[in-house]
Amino acid sequence: MRKQLEELQARALEEVQRATSVAGLEELRVRILGKKGMLTQLLRGLKEVSDAERPELGMLANQLKEGFNAALTARMGDLHHLELQQRLALERIDVTLPGRRPHGGGRHPISRALSEIEDIFLQMGFPAVSGPEVESDWHNFGALNIPPDHPAREMHDTFYLAADSQGGARVLRTHTSPVQIRVMESRQPPLRVIAPGKVYRCDSDLTHTPMFHQVEGFMVDRDVHFGHLMGVMETFLRRFFERQLPVRFRPSFFPFTEPSTEVDMGCLFCEGSGCRICKGSGWIEVLGAGLIHPNVLANVGIDKEIYSGFAFGLGVERMAMLKYGIGDLRTLYENDVRFLSLHARGEGV
Amino acid sequence: MKLTRRWLLEHWMGDWEARSIGRRLTQAGLEVASVTRLDQGLERVEVGCLLEVKQHPEADRLTVCRVDVGAEQLTIVCGARNHRVGDRVAVAREGAVLPNGMKIAISSIRGQRSEGMLASEAELGLAEASEGILILPPDQVPGTSLAPILGRDDDLFELELTPNRGDCLGVRGIARELAALSGIPLRPLQPQVAVTDATSAEIMIEHGHGCPRYVGRVIRGLAMQPSPAWLQHRLEAVGLRSINAVVDVTNYILLDLNHPMHAFDLAQLVMPLCVRGAFPGETLTLLNGTICKLVPEDVLIADARRPLALAGIMGGMETGVTEATTDLFLEVAYFSPTTVTRSGRRHGINSDSRYRFERGVDPEGLVLAMERATELILELCGGRAGPITVADAGTWTPRSPVPLRHERVNRLGGIDLTQADMETVLEHLGCEKRVLQGQICFQPPSHRHDLAQEEDLLEEIVRVHGYDNVTRVLPRIETRPMENDARSHLFSQSTRKMVAMGYLETINYSFVSKALQHRFDPERAAEELVNPISEDMAVLRTSLAPGLLEAARRNLSRANLSLRLFEVGRVFLRSDTALEEKEHLAGLVTGELHPHAWYARSRAVDFFDLKGDLEHLALSQGCMDLVFSPGGPEFLHPGQKALFQTRSHPRPVGWIGMLHPDHQRLLDPSQAVFLFELDMDELRACRSIPDRSEVTLSRFPSLERDFAFMVDDELGAGPFMDAVAGTDPGLIQAVRLFDVYRGDALPAGKKSFAINVVFRAPDRTLTDQEAQELCHRIVETAQRLFGARQR
Repeated sequence: MRKQLEELQARALEEVQRATSVAGLEELRVRILGKKGMLTQLLRGLKEVSDAERPELGMLANQLKEGFNAALTARMGDLHHLELQQRLALERIDVTLPGRRPHGGGRHPISRALSEIEDIFLQMGFPAVSGPEVESDWHNFGALNIPPDHPAREMHDTFYLAADSQGGARVLRTHTSPVQIRVMESRQPPLRVIAPGKVYRCDSDLTHTPMFHQVEGFMVDRDVHFGHLMGVMETFLRRFFERQLPVRFRPSFFPFTEPSTEVDMGCLFCEGSGCRICKGSGWIEVLGAGLIHPNVLANVGIDKEIYSGFAFGLGVERMAMLKYGIGDLRTLYENDVRFLSLHARGEGV
Repeated sequence: MKLTRRWLLEHWMGDWEARSIGRRLTQAGLEVASVTRLDQGLERVEVGCLLEVKQHPEADRLTVCRVDVGAEQLTIVCGARNHRVGDRVAVAREGAVLPNGMKIAISSIRGQRSEGMLASEAELGLAEASEGILILPPDQVPGTSLAPILGRDDDLFELELTPNRGDCLGVRGIARELAALSGIPLRPLQPQVAVTDATSAEIMIEHGHGCPRYVGRVIRGLAMQPSPAWLQHRLEAVGLRSINAVVDVTNYILLDLNHPMHAFDLAQLVMPLCVRGAFPGETLTLLNGTICKLVPEDVLIADARRPLALAGIMGGMETGVTEATTDLFLEVAYFSPTTVTRSGRRHGINSDSRYRFERGVDPEGLVLAMERATELILELCGGRAGPITVADAGTWTPRSPVPLRHERVNRLGGIDLTQADMETVLEHLGCEKRVLQGQICFQPPSHRHDLAQEEDLLEEIVRVHGYDNVTRVLPRIETRPMENDARSHLFSQSTRKMVAMGYLETINYSFVSKALQHRFDPERAAEELVNPISEDMAVLRTSLAPGLLEAARRNLSRANLSLRLFEVGRVFLRSDTALEEKEHLAGLVTGELHPHAWYARSRAVDFFDLKGDLEHLALSQGCMDLVFSPGGPEFLHPGQKALFQTRSHPRPVGWIGMLHPDHQRLLDPSQAVFLFELDMDELRACRSIPDRSEVTLSRFPSLERDFAFMVDDELGAGPFMDAVAGTDPGLIQAVRLFDVYRGDALPAGKKSFAINVVFRAPDRTLTDQEAQELCHRIVETAQRLFGARQR
């Protein structure tokens, strides 16, 4: 019997090593240790062994069992590992294949610039309001201190519409300034708003499109002064262009502000040393502004002895072109998806 | 406005460099757009004297010249034929780069060494074209630089003046401004004219509103001359062509003193002259050949027989000076800006004169301008001056003094100046201090029409003090929370959603061609522009579709074939009484859904791709139950179009569909296009978010059952699914259509809907029996409402 046990041990261990699958090992375990297994059957013969031999043989049987189990477990681990390796090899993919991307959308650069401008002003306490694009002559010109024969009208190439049902002259607004009038007509100071939107001028060439975008903004309160205007403009420009650029104020003329100023910013491209973009001056003209003209305040019934205010207007196309590096104005209105996609990249939503 | 530095220095005692002058003027609001050297390209061009002119031994058309250039003699080969020994010529020396870009070097021409070039007027940038080389006057000294001889050792300023500063449209005006800014005084201007002729002009002003003042004088016995070099050079430097001495002087006075003048040939008119409104039907042929049909609002200078000039705009052809003129009538006047603007606009005539009268010339400067002009004419052409006649209609009065509150100027200007500082600034600008009823006031000078109220003085003070000296601060404001208006919030939300769904935002013009507009919205009369920029942009759009399709067309023609585009913008809807501006959103898809993707079968986009995006957009805006029904605009495919609205908000929100094949053919290349458009206000009105606090998520398991129904082919899936869901809204959680089948297995005119229905109760586990019951009811409902048979 001892011999049989020793033979079984040797054979079992050999078979463990020869097994090639987890399932085969399991089958082997049953064949050796199962109810009808070889060891089980062999041990049934212990009854016939002498009392003297029995303990030793019993011990031998237990050693066999433990040794077999240990070998089985170890081999099982190996085979598991092997099978996993095979599966992993089978499941290998080409990770350099392109992913299934959603369609790439994007905002128009003008719309994005408008959002950025609106966000900055909202943070500074200037919410956005809107006004009509078809305006009365009065709101677009008269109320803004531009009477019919004023030479300043020559600076606006106006699109006209047929008179309204009451005979009032109507135009496509040439600037967003009429919203200033509408807000001052309908609300009381203190006032702080911006008015972004489309404007129209009868002009089309390399640097003009008949429709473009402006943001008008203004503030009316007690003791608003010229230095406030300068502070707000400088803060806005540095925030928008994300650069600590020098900002310069030059006297200018607009019929609806006095004093008026043209605002220049140190050239983004050459940092003031002079280049093609700034025509060698080191400065780029970015917006117009001023204290609200007393005639304008009078037109909307605001007492200039109590209140004062400033107003500004900026061209969104110009701001967008400068910030996003767009060289040709007209590409903005061609809506070529290659252009739109290019400018949507890296800009979130 | 152009002027040169030397010209300016004739009026101003300063001697600043051109760049300093430019910077100071710009800082004070007179924008100097450019400063350029007039001798650019003439730096190495000198006067030479031809000592010898020989035929080139190897070339018939060339000469070999010995040229004296002062310190040395040069050999130069020349191809011109107009030069002789002894001529003074312009020699471009080695190293010169001429205004036309030509570089001069020592070279060999057909074996002859040539040490420079004899230059022509064209090569020197003095004329567009010229024949032969430039021959200079014989008194020029060889070796001297050419530029000063041509008046070109000077700097040219180009100013961009704002409309309020009409007083700076003359060189003296700029000098006056510079004097005020620098404290360095103006040179006095005191023309000396002796009156030696008794002929006086007779002038009556009938139209006092259009012509407050008119000054005239007769000059007799003059001899017409070309202008002297200095005058020609000066006019040429600022871009004017020299005509003759008299015309040049009137132009010079316009540029120098900002007073437009006109010279009439005295022989062509009969005194007295009258400044009057035109008679109905009167016509006048102007100097430029324009024939004006005049109206009574036009102001004329006329004699007893006929109109002579359109006041402030242009003289008449028949009475202008000619080479034969010996006697003149000279005019200088103050015409009112409004009259001149209106006449100019009415007849479509722009002139330097009109430009200045519109902005207001100095009503007190007329006599000085007349004296200066007379002085120059007598000096250049001889003749005898008559006495000056001044006609004054009494309709111009000086501005009243403007009160100035020192404290308010500081408060609004954000500056801190003393009263004395302010007074100095204003007095330098020519304002006179007065005290009226204890109030300090300033009387503006007669050339400053723009100074009328305190803010005007404020502007002058801050401007001269310097904007750079104003402290920049942020205003203190209330900490009230701010919001953009609700609509703009929706627009930006919708824009973000469209972008997230892979659409590119476009911006299209608000105007379209009449034809296109009519094609897409034939029912509605669109608002027309009175003065469109072109046929393509003649009416205001009533839909975003034409613009979006145009954007698609352009992209397709550039081989961008798979497009997902959208726009948010206004449309303009006209009714009988008003024009309504509405914000719309429109989307467009065309081409492949997944162009050239390894992971997907190639497939063209279809109606449902777009519809899904539209539904997703609506849901994201809180519009929960969009309902589609067949219908929509004519330009869509009749079998693939729908109108949509919500149950809670029964007004139409918009339409969706496939572009009708007839219209699709306009695209290049032609391919199926799907688009939708909606009204943002209506979408906003559809917002119907349920009270989320009342929704509990059931903890109990759900049961699913699949059904297949055979229905009539015409039956819409939408109503069918709604009806199934409506069988028991409390227990039916979802109805999902997973197959639509038509084919041989079904009778003609029938189709099959396969649906999956999810049952779930909020408070218990549904039993099989309950589920069985529900299934029963669903089959019964489908049968009853649509004649559907379960398969």
